[in-house]
Amino acid sequence: MKKPSPALRRRSRNTENRKGVVQMPGSLSTLKAPTLKALCAALALLFVVAQPASAQLSFKPTAEAVQEDKLLNALKEGDKISGRITIPDTNAANLIQPAGRDWRDFHRSKLPVIGGIAILGMLALLAIFLMVRGRIRPESGFSGTKILRFASFERFTHWLTASCFIVLALSGLNISFGRILILPLFGADAFATMSGYAKIAHDYLAFPFMLGVLIMFLIWIKDNIPGKIDWQWLKQGGGIVSKGSHPPAKRFNAGQKGIFWIVIIGGTLMSLSGWYMLFPYLPANVTELQFWTVIHAVIAMLFIAAMLAHIYIGSIGMEGAFDAMGTGEVDLNWAKEHHSLWVEEEQAKGHAPAAGGSHAMPAE
Amino acid sequence: MKVFIAAVVFAVIAAFVASFVLSGVQMASYTAFTTSGARVGDPGNNLVGPG
Repeated sequence: MKKPSPALRRRSRNTENRKGVVQMPGSLSTLKAPTLKALCAALALLFVVAQPASAQLSFKPTAEAVQEDKLLNALKEGDKISGRITIPDTNAANLIQPAGRDWRDFHRSKLPVIGGIAILGMLALLAIFLMVRGRIRPESGFSGTKILRFASFERFTHWLTASCFIVLALSGLNISFGRILILPLFGADAFATMSGYAKIAHDYLAFPFMLGVLIMFLIWIKDNIPGKIDWQWLKQGGGIVSKGSHPPAKRFNAGQKGIFWIVIIGGTLMSLSGWYMLFPYLPANVTELQFWTVIHAVIAMLFIAAMLAHIYIGSIGMEGAFDAMGTGEVDLNWAKEHHSLWVEEEQAKGHAPAAGGSHAMPAE
Repeated sequence: MKVFIAAVVFAVIAAFVASFVLSGVQMASYTAFTTSGARVGDPGNNLVGPG
């Protein structure tokens, strides 16, 4: 009989091992079945316990790992650490949210820069314009003949909105700049008292402001639809950049239309975002609320800057302009220079005298 | 000037009306954000109750 090859001999021994005839020392097969089961169960239990921990923490839970900085840095955008609460306010369960730090940094560092550039930049531009151009006066002088420009209700709406806006703007600026500018002057107690009252005024004067914006939209929208004539007005710089140029305009010129839409769009955004801040349970979550506070703050800064330009041109920038919202009547020559087409319409309706006298007033 | 004063007076009145309406329809925070089991009967003169 032929002797089996070495390979066949090894295979034969392995077959014997599987049958338990020969057992290698130290192999698993030397363990008894109950012991093996217990070992497997322990490993499974260890795996089950360790799995959630490794999924939550990418670093080892040592004394070093629980330092706050590392914990916060481990949180990515959108993550948050939440607890479990039983009170009705579910938002109170949020303990740490990295987006909140970004929001706080924006209000403390970026927003004052944006506001400072917008407001101080606008004041600087207006000062330069006043120095270069001077006050804008009617070139044909005042006629002494008046034409009704705004009725009582229109002026009431304007001053309702404007007076609220001034208080809202000052009390709002106090939030961003008060601690820097006013606190050192008044001291902590007076500043805290003033800020408390300013906050109350801000909250409640918002409602007549919103009403004023709504009425403005309703009564002036028909005169503020942009048209081709506005493009001509803009190309000629409104006739206020250089002397001797008076582009035709209807009741509102392109500049006034721009202010109107800034008030309507800006006022709507301020109202909407302010509404969310007045009723903070309306937004879906804290992140959405923070978004609306950023919108409120940024629009406010730009809004204030734009209104500074409006206040300037309606008061010291243009002689005779304030009368429109002061008494409601403007000089006919002033109206012809700045709103020639509107004057023609009013004269056609019989609401204005056909021609004004040449009652030129000496320059100041 | 009369129109300006009328507008300011109206704004102040409207603000007061808004404050009264809101006070009427809203709950104080110590009531809104606590369950009845955790709420004290008389919060007293502290930070969470009426002054």
